[in-house]
Amino acid sequence: MDKLPLGLALDLSKVVPYKTGSWRTMKPLYIMQTPPCTHSCPINNDIRGFLRVLADKQDYAEAWHILTRTNPFPAACGRVCPHPCEDGCNRRDFDTPLAINSAERSVGDYGLEHRLEHRKEVLTTRKEKVAVVGAGPAGLSCAFHLAKRGFPVKVFEAARDPGGMMRYGIPAYRLPKEVLDREIEAILKLGVDLECNVKVGVNIPFDQLRQDYHAVFLGLGAQKGVTLSIPGDDARNVFTGVGFLQEIHRGRIPEVGRNVVVVGGGNTAMDCARVAKRLGADVSVVYRRTRVEMPAITAEIDEAMEERIMFRYHTNPIKIITDEGRVVGLLCVQMELKEADASGRARPVPIPGSESVVPADTVIMATGQEVDYDGIDLARRENKWISVDEYLMTNVEKVFAGGDAVLGLETVSAAIGQGLRAAAAIEDYLEGHVESSLASPPVVYFKDMNSYYYTRKKRFAKEAIPVHERLKSFHEIYAPFDHREIIGEAKRCLSCGLCFDCRNCLMYCPDNAVNIHPATGKYEFDYDFCKGCGLCVKECPCHYIQLTLEK
Amino acid sequence: MEISAEELNRVEKKNLFASGHRACGGCGQALAARLVADAAGENTIACVATGCLEIFSSPYPDPNWRIPFLHSLFENVSAVASGVEAAYKILKKGPVNIIAQGGDGSTADIGFQSISGMFERGHNVLYICYDNEAYMNTGVQRSSFTPYGAKTTTTPMGNRTRKKNLPMLAADHGIPYVATATVDDYRDLQRKVKKALTIEGPKYLHVLAPCPLGWGHGGDLTVQICRLAKATCLFPVFEIFYGEISNIQKVPQKLPVEEYLRLQARFKHLFKRGEPTKIVAEIQEIANQNIARFNL
Repeated sequence: MDKLPLGLALDLSKVVPYKTGSWRTMKPLYIMQTPPCTHSCPINNDIRGFLRVLADKQDYAEAWHILTRTNPFPAACGRVCPHPCEDGCNRRDFDTPLAINSAERSVGDYGLEHRLEHRKEVLTTRKEKVAVVGAGPAGLSCAFHLAKRGFPVKVFEAARDPGGMMRYGIPAYRLPKEVLDREIEAILKLGVDLECNVKVGVNIPFDQLRQDYHAVFLGLGAQKGVTLSIPGDDARNVFTGVGFLQEIHRGRIPEVGRNVVVVGGGNTAMDCARVAKRLGADVSVVYRRTRVEMPAITAEIDEAMEERIMFRYHTNPIKIITDEGRVVGLLCVQMELKEADASGRARPVPIPGSESVVPADTVIMATGQEVDYDGIDLARRENKWISVDEYLMTNVEKVFAGGDAVLGLETVSAAIGQGLRAAAAIEDYLEGHVESSLASPPVVYFKDMNSYYYTRKKRFAKEAIPVHERLKSFHEIYAPFDHREIIGEAKRCLSCGLCFDCRNCLMYCPDNAVNIHPATGKYEFDYDFCKGCGLCVKECPCHYIQLTLEK
Repeated sequence: MEISAEELNRVEKKNLFASGHRACGGCGQALAARLVADAAGENTIACVATGCLEIFSSPYPDPNWRIPFLHSLFENVSAVASGVEAAYKILKKGPVNIIAQGGDGSTADIGFQSISGMFERGHNVLYICYDNEAYMNTGVQRSSFTPYGAKTTTTPMGNRTRKKNLPMLAADHGIPYVATATVDDYRDLQRKVKKALTIEGPKYLHVLAPCPLGWGHGGDLTVQICRLAKATCLFPVFEIFYGEISNIQKVPQKLPVEEYLRLQARFKHLFKRGEPTKIVAEIQEIANQNIARFNL
């Protein structure tokens, strides 16, 4: 033994520490959890992932690649999605939820500006061919995910241009057509084959498709408008909601006259009303329940109200008054709301003797849509929507379906989510194994987190063009966002359930039992010394650490 | 000795107080001792009075200190540290950081004469008191730092006296630097240690270090309790330079003392069937006096 300096009884560098880890009854673990934004997103986008890349590295390109792992339409969804992610955001219980939707649009726009290209997951081409019917959000999403996995995909579209309801249903002031064109172009670059002007069931027999391809995905959508059967609905200037929007899209702008009445309270009704307003008419929306029961997304109702569209609630049309085949008015009756019906909404009942006439030069019936089953015979739910099993397969072997035709009328993101799930199911089907449904980790809620470490910060607010400017054209109503402001917004992300390097566990451990791994830079517990006191668990802001029983 | 603001605010993690000590899980004193040792750095001599810290950190042959360590008795750690400082001076060695550390018992009761003497003689030593508000090492007996109303084994009905205000007593010795800190704000604690070590003369740092066993709370709440002690204004955090009080940590959102008391079993008897007794109001009065005195 070397001689120690005077006064030292021990060589401190040769001390063998006593392992206190054996005292432990509870054991802390780093476990990544599901954030509520991802949990409530119909596409399960990795929202926390792309926001962290933005906040930490300001890397828009990487953020775009993270988003497009699941969603091929970030720029479109960033504009039209009713963002259930923001409803889920844990920041809601702290100050205000993150403007995830705006961040998504900003990242999507960056991808379009810089013409970023999607990355394939499988580089080889597989031999099984898949046909996709309908180039809407569901169909294109399914084609996108199949193409990424190396399947040759052919998409059949009945209309002249791809996009489905995103093109024909959503007006340009909400989703500019060039944004959609470019996002579709990026999908097609993956090697997806697209054929427009072909209606499956009419131009090609459905059975031939089943013979030629190893699997078929039907993203038919709900393209056919349903009118209320009331007297006078055969008059000129009576449109279905979908029919009206398609006319506008084709550039055949109808003479709507001075007064336009839109019947219905869904998204199509809002779109029709706002389009008609831009054509210079006075628009009123007639709905038989109240605003609370309206199925349209809140933002759209708000924007419609800003644009001075009149809402008549508790009102139901019973007759269209015509004069020489032209509409002159709409006879309506007042309704009162009674106990809830099967849909969970209050049941409207007419009040006798409350009829009144609403003047109208055009009536748009946005009262429902249905699937166009021309030449395609499948089992149906409620005689309307395609019935599918849990793997989205229809009653016909190797035919899968998704989107509005299955869900009923839903959002773009729900359709994209179905396309994603269908692609996974088709891959599993073609490879002959049952879908491996791996359980995702549990969701983190705000009560599990330590709010002390977060500071309140104002939410990013997108600025709309003033109403009088908006109504002059079909230009998009929200100007592009400042990329730096979006990074500031991304920094508000609480990073629920994933470490964001706050060093609390490292600094607060009384036993020095947390180390940083020299190679990976990740935190790790030294279980030789951890006593399991749980201090790190309590002080972890984002609930990334959990206490489990020691075995 | 000058120190840049950047270096002053940097958080240190050097593991000079290493793993393997025998403190209870979630020990506030062990946490504080590590933060202090890491902030002081390698060029430091630690003198430690008898008490929990000495017991759990220095058994032969595996002590946890990776810096020279000197154990003294309950009553004389200040005298021992003074001697170390004098020895360095006479041998013309150094400079070296000399830190005397003790619990509240050895600081406020048994070692009070020697700490007062060290301040008066003006030795260049930083004295750090880890305040866990009772003699935890020997089995939770009351000390003169035990707060009003707290239950210990020697005050089973609750303590009837108020806590001795040692930071003010130390400041009245006219020493250059006195500060209080808690373990929850490790940046602040390490900054104060580093700042104190740049100042020539005797310094006193008072650190609130919760004791899960003696206070009767879970080891996971150590940091939370410190935070509540500050938020309820029962433990004001400040610095005193030559008797001039400054850098008082303001408490923008003050909480009622109940929130602090309810988490700890030592205050359990202050709540009868969940309702606070009049002693809680008296403790609130102490907090109010702190608010008025320090303008929190």
